[in-house]
Amino acid sequence: MIQLTDVHKSYTKDHETIKGVSFEVHEGEIFGLLGPNGAGKTTLMQMIATLMKPTSGSILIDGLSADKNLLDIHRKIGFLTNEIKLDPMSTPNVLFDFFAKLYDIPKEELRDRRDESFARFGISPFANKRINELSTGMKQKISIAISLIHKPPVIIFDEPTNGLDILTSKQVTDYLKELRNQGHAIILSTHIFSVAEELCDDIAVLIDGSIVAQGSVEQLIAQAQVNTFEEAFFKIYVENHKE
Amino acid sequence: MRKILTFFNWEIGKLFSSWRRTFTLFLLPAVFLVGMLNVFPLLINYMSTGTLTKKPVTVVNAPESFINYVNETTDARAFTYEYKSFDEFSELADDKNEYRKQLRKGMIICVFFSGEFDRSFDDEVRSYYEEVINENTEAYSRAQIYVAYDENSLTAYARAVQFNEGVLEKYQNTLIDTLGGEYAVIGSSLFETDKFNPVTKFEDYRTVANNQASRVVSGVLMIMMYYSTYSLVIDMFASERDRGFMDKLILTPVSRKKIYAGKILAINAIVTFSTLATMLLLFLSSWLNRNNDAMSLLPFGMLLTPGELAIVVFSIPITVLLMTAACISTVFALKNIQDITINLQLPLIYFLGDFFLQMFRGTRPTTLEYFIPVHNTLQLISESFMAQDKAWHVILVYMLNAGLAIAIFAYTFRKEESK
Repeated sequence: MIQLTDVHKSYTKDHETIKGVSFEVHEGEIFGLLGPNGAGKTTLMQMIATLMKPTSGSILIDGLSADKNLLDIHRKIGFLTNEIKLDPMSTPNVLFDFFAKLYDIPKEELRDRRDESFARFGISPFANKRINELSTGMKQKISIAISLIHKPPVIIFDEPTNGLDILTSKQVTDYLKELRNQGHAIILSTHIFSVAEELCDDIAVLIDGSIVAQGSVEQLIAQAQVNTFEEAFFKIYVENHKE
Repeated sequence: MRKILTFFNWEIGKLFSSWRRTFTLFLLPAVFLVGMLNVFPLLINYMSTGTLTKKPVTVVNAPESFINYVNETTDARAFTYEYKSFDEFSELADDKNEYRKQLRKGMIICVFFSGEFDRSFDDEVRSYYEEVINENTEAYSRAQIYVAYDENSLTAYARAVQFNEGVLEKYQNTLIDTLGGEYAVIGSSLFETDKFNPVTKFEDYRTVANNQASRVVSGVLMIMMYYSTYSLVIDMFASERDRGFMDKLILTPVSRKKIYAGKILAINAIVTFSTLATMLLLFLSSWLNRNNDAMSLLPFGMLLTPGELAIVVFSIPITVLLMTAACISTVFALKNIQDITINLQLPLIYFLGDFFLQMFRGTRPTTLEYFIPVHNTLQLISESFMAQDKAWHVILVYMLNAGLAIAIFAYTFRKEESK
């Protein structure tokens, strides 16, 4: 579903932020990008989400390239980052209706989708409240509901549980597992070991713009010859961090 | 087009989702500007006289004809009057310090004198006309009207000039009818259109009012347009990008061009409507200004013909389009929202400067000024109020501003998409 081949990205001539990254994410799989702050996770996620163009290399979503099929790709992806803040004066209902129109969701389907989505995240009691009156966790839930309004086969989550309380984090991670079981291809970036360990089928460790290790949690532990995933990450980091 | 309208409706809906937002954008600036225009004369009055109240005109030895004229004529009611006899006035004039103090405070003194203290002003004028009727070619009147004021006070000077032109000269013209006896029947026109035809009466006011409006209204509208445009561009582009919400919109299956077009259309509609609301308030302010204060920036009778109004109205969305293009290119060129806000606020200083230059300039605009984008709109609105609009000016200003706006949009969006 997601295929990256030798992707490079430079903001300036003398510094490369992403250095030849390649990987694939398949249907029914959660792929984790793990790395410290500044490793290039967000840049990579934004390139996969078509918000940014790579300097070189190719990114294919369900076989489509952003150069030729940008709007078709947008129908296939759902992108969520904890950085997104919704319009403070709008209500969840208004936002849901607006995005439904943008995704051409028929009116007869809209109500069912809204009921289902709002019920799952407990949004219904707040559906007519302004966003600025809601808690951070509730805002994030609304943001997820809106990002997945069109039921995309590819889901891109940039630090999905950042800043959330334990209960909301649990709700989000449970939902991600459910989406995986439904056959969605999910790529998420995180710097939280427990999230990566619990959710990801395949993990790529990104350090200084390069993938220095890739595999399942067990494979990475074995590769580093340590006992825990956390220890494995630190060993990989120390061996590969140059700057 | 459907998607563009979805964005348009969304942005308009957002504006009306809160009465505070609606009021802040639509009415607050307009009310503020109209308020400022009305407070300005008060400030000038205060700076020149040290008082906020307007002094009545002190009329010394007022003849019956003048008192009747004042009571019967609307123009004369722009001033209030305090009548004094010669004796009462002498008491004041004898106290030199108090007399100077009163003049400094904006006192205007109007003295009617027949040439002799024991003869009335009206009798002197009446006898003059009698002599004229008797074909006395050397008829001479000693009747005189003196107007005294502090020539160092701008307010007193302006009020004295207005009193002279708006009251005394018109009063003198009526004397032939009221005191001229037979001569009035023979020598003067029996039919004065101004007294019967409200249109010609209005046209009289319009000349004065539009002259002033051309100096004031054009600048006010430009400030209003820019203020609203930059506020909306910050809200719809910079803030949304800062919040990450713009990314969410871009990731929908709607092209960036359509998203931006919907937003630009919404900005244009809102600013045009809001500027027209300001213009309406300025017109109302002018029409309600019945006392025609000498220092008023919006004299009574501001009016545009349908053609002139159309030129002004159509120039608004075109200019807003150019302002929007310039603001959006700034937003896309900078990352930090504080930098964007500061950079977009700077042109307000230019518009304020342009407003004051226009208010005090004594010359007509040069041809070159019609080639300066945005500034040319100010000149076009100004000349429309002066009824001096020329077809080639209108075409040039519209084409130049619209063309430049499209060029800036094309360049900015191409650059943005290539990122």
